[in-house]
Amino acid sequence: MIDLLVVGAGPAGLSAAIAAAEQGLKVKVLDEFPKVGGRLLGQLHQEPSGEWWNGIEMGEKLHQKARLEGVNIQCEVSVSDISRTDFGWSVYTSVGMIKAKNLLLATGASETAIPLPGWTLPGAISIGAAQVMGNVHRVKPGNSCVIIGANVLSIAIANELMLCGVKVKEIIIPETGPVAKDAGVPEKVMASLMRLTHLAPNAFLRQAGKFGKFVSPKVAAQFFPKNGIRVLGIPIRVKKAAIEIIGEGQATGVRTVAVTPDGKRIQGTEQVTEADFVCIAGGLAPMSELASIAGCSFKYVEELGGHIPLHSERMETAVPGLYVAGNITGVESAKVAMAQGKVAGLTVAFNTNGASKKTEMLVKCALDDVRKTRANALIEFQPGIVEARERIYVQFEQERIAVKQAITVS
Amino acid sequence: MTMRVVNHPVLGKLPEQNRITIRFNGQPYEAYEGDTIASALMAQGVKTLRKHEMSGEGRGIYCNIGHCFECRVQVGDRKVVRACLTPVSEGIEIHSLTAFVKGGQTK
Amino acid sequence: MSDEKTIVCRCEEISFQTISDTVREYSCSSREVKLRTRAGMGYCGGRTCRHMIDTIVAGINQEPIADEIQLSYRPPARPLTFGVLGGMQHDNESR
Repeated sequence: MIDLLVVGAGPAGLSAAIAAAEQGLKVKVLDEFPKVGGRLLGQLHQEPSGEWWNGIEMGEKLHQKARLEGVNIQCEVSVSDISRTDFGWSVYTSVGMIKAKNLLLATGASETAIPLPGWTLPGAISIGAAQVMGNVHRVKPGNSCVIIGANVLSIAIANELMLCGVKVKEIIIPETGPVAKDAGVPEKVMASLMRLTHLAPNAFLRQAGKFGKFVSPKVAAQFFPKNGIRVLGIPIRVKKAAIEIIGEGQATGVRTVAVTPDGKRIQGTEQVTEADFVCIAGGLAPMSELASIAGCSFKYVEELGGHIPLHSERMETAVPGLYVAGNITGVESAKVAMAQGKVAGLTVAFNTNGASKKTEMLVKCALDDVRKTRANALIEFQPGIVEARERIYVQFEQERIAVKQAITVS
Repeated sequence: MTMRVVNHPVLGKLPEQNRITIRFNGQPYEAYEGDTIASALMAQGVKTLRKHEMSGEGRGIYCNIGHCFECRVQVGDRKVVRACLTPVSEGIEIHSLTAFVKGGQTK
Repeated sequence: MSDEKTIVCRCEEISFQTISDTVREYSCSSREVKLRTRAGMGYCGGRTCRHMIDTIVAGINQEPIADEIQLSYRPPARPLTFGVLGGMQHDNESR
């Protein structure tokens, strides 16, 4: 039987598979996508050193390493259900049932949407969809685009689309409302963009951050030029809001309106920006579905992107034999996901092979590496990630104690 | 018309791929081996993949990684797949799913 | 934002208007909204709209988003054919 079944062949899942296989475990990895690498596949940005972070290459490296360690990887397989059994797990997939002693969910994150009229039109796609289409499939979704949502992800991908030869006409904000909320309030958007100044992932984002280093977000929003600022030729317009995606049969542009620093429409400022396609950049949220089906308990943690399955720093959940790693535990960079994956793989080995001093040392080193990677993270998706993670670990220990007590009593 | 990113300043030149022919709603389209149904059609400028069952409004890819199921299409006689996750193959017959009409027939 | 023209649940084409009217009328949870309107009940299993529905409901009811997942996930997490359910291999996603 398989010792460890990993769902998700992204940075976390592959790293976990490699670490567990290195410890002698029999490991299998499943992924829905036809290619190995998960979200690594689209990523392409410049480090402050000037080097490019090429996710495709990194994915390929991990893939080769995993194969070398004897990991069995199967793509184009969807998991529909999982259930606990006396030997571990039965995992129901599109290619039949797979039995495993341990299960690691490394399903990553999904994009959150911001709805507006016309967003169901063909040609209105999520920003991640455009990234995968351009960088992975090497197909442009169109020659020109407008991006709705000004955030770290959208600015990074705007740059990638430009490298693909797409004319990014402008990055604007969604109109504020019950879903878009602060993402549609210029002064709040400014506040979050200004945080990028010191930890910008590349020259491009550093530029984006430079316009507001020493002023308050409020002032920065007030004096933000009406025509936006240009970053490598892409206008970022935080005082221009999208009110509708327009087009007959498919998207051909965006109807926009100028807004005040606190997000109110300014009458008589409606415009249309024409584009071949329109991207919606709402952000990312952990994919909790399989963890939920497996019986994990959850915490809603805004800093981590949404509902997080309760887990330990060693990536165990309260469900025996069930582990999590990567963005399912909170939205962070691929580097953090890789470091977490290693922790998870080693922890599974530690728990399966019997505790050994050597493995314990390896786990400790891997945990250290996660902390270091997080501290050096160039893209911090939300402020307060470290604190939020500490809270989760404390809550997990409390729950573990409570569960133990409950078992003793009954 | 092709929307292929042939030359990329960082990723380099697109490696030569075998060309194959796929059929979408009866029309032949050129595709590259290794394409998904969605990327092959997008490369030819095809964005509408299906019609919504009730409203009949056109839909295409939205998430492109298998989460949203908006890009579902019919392959062959009855199999429904996500275009964004399904690789193309020579001669593959792809059909749009269409809106329901009264009486339970599809138009 | 035009509330009627803004679709929240893409699969079932349920508008922001319908969802917020329902929450107001019944002061209800995400789950109840789903049962009353079909929002989040479509082909994708609510994967695209669940965050929006939770946010809209929490906003109108002026409550924080709960730790428990409101729109529960139930297997199958992906559409399945009876063939696969019956043990046949690799015939996923047909309806």
